[in-house]
Amino acid sequence: MSRIFYIALTCFLFVLISADTVSAQQRTIRGNVVDEIAKPLPGVIISVKGENIQTSSDNNGNYTITLSGKSNILVFKMVGMITKEIAVLPTENTIRTSLLPDLKNLEEVVVVGYGTVRKSDLTGSVSTLKGSDLNRTPSASVDQLLQGKIPGVQVISGSGRPGAGATIRIRGTSSLNGSNSPLMVVDGFPWGDAGNLKQINPDDIESIEVLKDASSAAIYGSRGANGVILITTKKGKLGQSNISLSTLNTVSAMSAKPDLWRDAIDEATFANEAALTGGTPANQLPYLGEIRGGVYFPSIAELRGLDPSKPKWPHNTDWVDLVYRKPFSQSYTLTADGGSEKTKYAISGNYYKEEGLVIKNFYDRFATRLDLDQKLTDAINVGTNVILTYTKNNGVQVNADRTRVFPVYDDKGNYFRTSPTDFGHPLANANEVLNTSKTIDVLGTVYANAKITKWLQFRTQLSSKYGNSIGDVYEPSIVTFRGFESNGYGAINNFNTTELLTENYLTANKTFGKDHSINFVAGYSFQKFNTRTSDLIGNGFVNDNIQNENLSTAANRIIANGLSRSELASWFGRANYVFKDRYLFTLTARADGSSKFGSNNKWGYFPSGAVAWKANEEEFIKSLNVFSELKFRVSYGLTGNQGISPYQTLDRFGTARYFTGDGFQTGFGPGLSGANNEQGLTIVGGLGNNSLKWETTTSLDLGVDIGFMDQRFRLTIDYYNKNTDDLLRLRTIAPSSGFDEQWINDGEINNKGIEIGLNADIIRKSEFSWNVGVNFTRNRNKVISMGEKNRVDVGTLYELVRQRILTYTVGQPMFAYYGYKSNGIIQTVQEGIAAGLTGAAAQPGEIKYLDISGPNGTPDGVIDGNDRTIIGNPTPDFLYSFNTNLKYKRFDLSAQFYGIYGNDVFDFRKLTPSRQIMRWTPDNPSNEIPRANNTRGFLASDFFITDGSFLRIQNVTLGYNFKANPVKGIKSLRVFFSGNNLYTFTKFNPGFDAELGENGVNEGAYPRPRAISLGLNIGF
Amino acid sequence: MNIKKYIYSAFVFATVLSSCQKLEEKPYGLVNTSSFYKTEADANSALAYAYAILPEVGYYSRGYYIITELPTENLTQKGDAGVSNFELDEIRTTPTNADLDNLWTYLYRGIARANSVIANVPNVEGITPANKNQIIGEGYFLRALHNFNLVRMFGAVPLRTGVIADAEQVPMAKSSLSEIYNLIESDLKNAESLMSIAKNKEGRANKVAAQALLAKVYLHLASSKSYNSPGYAFVDDAEKKYTDAKTYAAKVINDQSVFGFTNTLVDIWNTALYKTAGSVNEHIFDAAVDRLGVREGEYTKLPNMFLGSDRPMSIPYNPSNATSPIINIGQGWNHFRTEAGHYNSYANTDRRKTDLIVSSYTNSGTVYNLDINSASRPFSRKFIDPGRDADKMNANSPIIRYSDILLIYAEAAGPSEGYSAVNRIRARAGLGDLPPSLSVKAFRDAVVLERAWELAFEGNRLFDLRRTNGMEKMAQDYGKTITSGAYFFPIPQRELDTNPLMKP
Repeated sequence: MSRIFYIALTCFLFVLISADTVSAQQRTIRGNVVDEIAKPLPGVIISVKGENIQTSSDNNGNYTITLSGKSNILVFKMVGMITKEIAVLPTENTIRTSLLPDLKNLEEVVVVGYGTVRKSDLTGSVSTLKGSDLNRTPSASVDQLLQGKIPGVQVISGSGRPGAGATIRIRGTSSLNGSNSPLMVVDGFPWGDAGNLKQINPDDIESIEVLKDASSAAIYGSRGANGVILITTKKGKLGQSNISLSTLNTVSAMSAKPDLWRDAIDEATFANEAALTGGTPANQLPYLGEIRGGVYFPSIAELRGLDPSKPKWPHNTDWVDLVYRKPFSQSYTLTADGGSEKTKYAISGNYYKEEGLVIKNFYDRFATRLDLDQKLTDAINVGTNVILTYTKNNGVQVNADRTRVFPVYDDKGNYFRTSPTDFGHPLANANEVLNTSKTIDVLGTVYANAKITKWLQFRTQLSSKYGNSIGDVYEPSIVTFRGFESNGYGAINNFNTTELLTENYLTANKTFGKDHSINFVAGYSFQKFNTRTSDLIGNGFVNDNIQNENLSTAANRIIANGLSRSELASWFGRANYVFKDRYLFTLTARADGSSKFGSNNKWGYFPSGAVAWKANEEEFIKSLNVFSELKFRVSYGLTGNQGISPYQTLDRFGTARYFTGDGFQTGFGPGLSGANNEQGLTIVGGLGNNSLKWETTTSLDLGVDIGFMDQRFRLTIDYYNKNTDDLLRLRTIAPSSGFDEQWINDGEINNKGIEIGLNADIIRKSEFSWNVGVNFTRNRNKVISMGEKNRVDVGTLYELVRQRILTYTVGQPMFAYYGYKSNGIIQTVQEGIAAGLTGAAAQPGEIKYLDISGPNGTPDGVIDGNDRTIIGNPTPDFLYSFNTNLKYKRFDLSAQFYGIYGNDVFDFRKLTPSRQIMRWTPDNPSNEIPRANNTRGFLASDFFITDGSFLRIQNVTLGYNFKANPVKGIKSLRVFFSGNNLYTFTKFNPGFDAELGENGVNEGAYPRPRAISLGLNIGF
Repeated sequence: MNIKKYIYSAFVFATVLSSCQKLEEKPYGLVNTSSFYKTEADANSALAYAYAILPEVGYYSRGYYIITELPTENLTQKGDAGVSNFELDEIRTTPTNADLDNLWTYLYRGIARANSVIANVPNVEGITPANKNQIIGEGYFLRALHNFNLVRMFGAVPLRTGVIADAEQVPMAKSSLSEIYNLIESDLKNAESLMSIAKNKEGRANKVAAQALLAKVYLHLASSKSYNSPGYAFVDDAEKKYTDAKTYAAKVINDQSVFGFTNTLVDIWNTALYKTAGSVNEHIFDAAVDRLGVREGEYTKLPNMFLGSDRPMSIPYNPSNATSPIINIGQGWNHFRTEAGHYNSYANTDRRKTDLIVSSYTNSGTVYNLDINSASRPFSRKFIDPGRDADKMNANSPIIRYSDILLIYAEAAGPSEGYSAVNRIRARAGLGDLPPSLSVKAFRDAVVLERAWELAFEGNRLFDLRRTNGMEKMAQDYGKTITSGAYFFPIPQRELDTNPLMKP
């Protein structure tokens, strides 16, 4: 303790000695601080230069400070603003001033794992985004809003379903079977995989930091290989007390008009032609004016009104109008925050409701947050952060692809069905099927910070996270196939997760002399995960009246439950050393021990190092007078991915029941059944592997940060090369062992690429500013090895082509498509037979496939499985985005463009009605669109592959800031209009959204809406 | 000072937390070796698990019939049944055949489950010796059944006798047919001596089942040698094996009263009768299922493979009895299609054709006749469940039945003692006796042909053809060209690729 006292004393003396000793008289200065558009600035720290006197501006930007008389220079400081010094004349008692935004950003503090660092002192590749830079558009989670904002970060939102998440990839994908999502960390709590952070209201986010390279991500060790996204929520600030309300009201519409049959006659004609070609006898075609299975199918003539014996067919149902709507979505956030010397607080509440394009689809959220920090003594502050979120998701996914020939309802008012096994009625599904899920999430954190000495701090934190979701499902017996099969299907699905985290770490900040500065973090963390599920299912209900409300009334009841637990213990540390403010060194390491790892590999070690050189601090660069920033960075290190499910290291028994006359006997034994493979064979695992461990990614990052003209132009370029090995992979083992596969570490994937971020403040005046940003990301992904296999088929088995199309293939990017090559349409039977096709597949009007190989590796005159090869891949060549911001007086206008280029799409919906109209017929020998044929056995071929490049006008926002106190009781007011997903430039199938999931397969996903929002930000 | 205390306690807190966790895993909700095979209930459960492989879709609920019936003249398949079915039907099987891969996998899963019973149950304490013996005996019986299926299908294969606990134990070379049959024989003799003669419960084996299976094994060896069937040159004395087969078949016929002859053909296939003890005692061993099962394998959909898909069907329970009630058998998938070669081979009065193959049915009062040359053909009604609950059915898959043993006895005993057994079968089918005074060869050929009718669609014909060196003649008669897999199917590619000690 005496040492601490000694150090404190030294510091005190130092302050005393360095203080100016000129004395004069005390006096009080009052004043007011505003920003460049004359909006009051609260929270500005005003101090007297060289003295220990400081205050902060209040909500109206007003302040009062006392000059002791020694110094007469006032310093106005605020994060993000250029610090201003004003010399007070002896006659002045009032100082009104304005602060300009600091566009240099170099003094900005950046959050990194377990601490912060000055932006200019960063050695790793870290990108920052302010919460205020997020697009203002309805979004259930912040994840989608990151799209196009940060170089190297790919955000894929493959669905417009309310509450849908997004897929986030940082610097490519590097795991075959583990997760490829970055780790999301919220206020220091490692939340888990990024993708759907629905618990955090995007309005509550202060800043987002993305850790991309090994040096920055290694502090998260075995969870860092996919990169880390740090979310920091808004905190109360000293000297303020704000109450604000922000609202967002949005009207949406379909962004692409669905490409469906426009009238019933074309549709029925096509159906008849397709049936005839497909081998249906001419007297059994669908539309002949006959009753089939109790339903009358009109003839084409009747549809046209040309059948003299019958009235014109009255139905031509437009399902698009019935299924889709123009949804209205709302979001309201009320925030109160502020702080005094002792206490800082932030409280917010949010209500969010997103309606889907499909009727009955909606997503509701109530989110509340409390953040409190209390100074107990000069050395200790304690605080808490509590987040509570409730969400509700309702509705089923239906589409409008139903025949126009038949009506919505039959003459009794029931849903019209084309046969007793017609389960495709979209309104019946939307209205009669119960499908809701409700979640409650709570994250509570308590922490204490203690200053042990001036330069040494200790922080301890205890967090617990609780999540609960309940799914309610009921499918009536005549609406869905499952309902029919089960005679009414009801279920309650419970999912429950709890996590506990304790973190304790020391932070040291010390400067030695003029040239040496050290920052050091070291600590211990322990996290426990617990996930519990239960499913209650009932089959066979007397009627559909009480849905799933009393499952005990079901004829058959099935219950299932599960629990998975794991623990993660970690030691971590980081040392930053700055020499002469220009040579920067960082060493980071983490040791992770996980219960999920095999007993032979309990602990993984992830070291990394980085060096940076601020060349702009060197005299010879300074003398050039060109660069305001010139920094070179190199980092190298290891990160891990622990994508193992719990218990994979142990032998696990399967269970099965056998009937012995008086009932079923439950058995246990070797062989745990899993999912089915392509042939429908149940794959059996359960053979333990006590050497199982994390995947290791070794990455190199070379980066340069350049600033010109006082940071008006800023350029960041990073090149990276990431090699991931020890891939977690299911090895196929000899089936004669009784097992089919086992988890092992084997295989290698490489990602390398380049990221460029360019920002330019083209105009930088107090009343007029214009800023432009460009992001460019190019990643090359390649599977290097996968043990004994050169190709593994992954993903779904697609019914239409009876195979899986996605593969991991050595030498190719992940998800490369595998299938046949095609070459137009067969025009003559001879051509078809010459191509190696037989029977109906060789007829004119069918797709011509290419015979590229045979059993011996050479073409054999037969089209069969040997003719398959890699036919495309969904990985884009590059991603790009363009952001611009224009401010003129009280107006601001911002726009964002986002594009991807060079990706293939496997378009299962290629044969849209508008294309079917142009199909091959003897009179129209198309070489693009095959003839109508309802029994064609499509092969997975490049016929379906289309270029998926697109450029989208992602967002345009126009805002107006009213002058301060526009109305009594309102301090500030901003109004804005925001348009999202406004237009897409693409050559892709016009009936569909070009943005698809990571695998690039178009099966007609839930369309993404075009949204127009009106927003208000009101300060009270 | 406060701070110090606080920091100190925080460190203590952290240390306590770190020391109380050991990062060990205990799999929740999952049983494994460390917690199992301790009690009598565990032993019973291990055995139930071993049995549960039998009615799986990949085994006796579908896969076994696809593989054993399609290559014969009994059945062909629907047009979109997939390339693997076609390869089997046309006897041009390849190592990548999915159906073969599937059955191979299920057979070895069955062996792994049986091995875990054989290896672990002897160590279970607190169990009556009788029950312990019975359980271990059933384990031996199941292992023998799987190995007998394997060797008859694939020939020389790896012989797995231990429990696999580590991936290092996986690589294993093939054993010879001789080694495999030695194990089958010793397993069945162990099973015979360990099990009791009383019928245990539905779907479980007893001493008689082991004797019956052993008779079948001996007959397979005897006839394979006698007919010079490929691969069976190792059998040293065919006549000795015929005698063994006869001895064991005689034990089943003479030394027990648990199983016996059923006089009415259709009753053999009446689930309500054979699932009730004492009514129909034909089925010495079968894979049991029930409609109350929650997944396929607990119930069966096998009848759907045979039944026509056009519309729900009603048929008379017993066509040979004019007053027989009408039963509803629902509709199926028309996957298996009866081949004309088989259908036309019956005598017109053969009740196994008139009573057990549905050639006409009614639906809503309309009579529909099935044409053997069309898509909707006459189909076997051995696999039906009139009480079906949608697609959930309780038709057990027959593995060994009493009629099979009578025919084994006849074939093994030859004309000197075999006539009465085979004529008993023929009489039930409404046919006269076999011509007397047949030569040994002619008599045995006649019994094999009798088996083709009596045991049609039950997965016996392929092995009868193989053991009598008759695949070529069948293919020739039927106009098929054999490309591969006539006597032994190729070992699945997945096994070749992943088992370094395995050679094709």
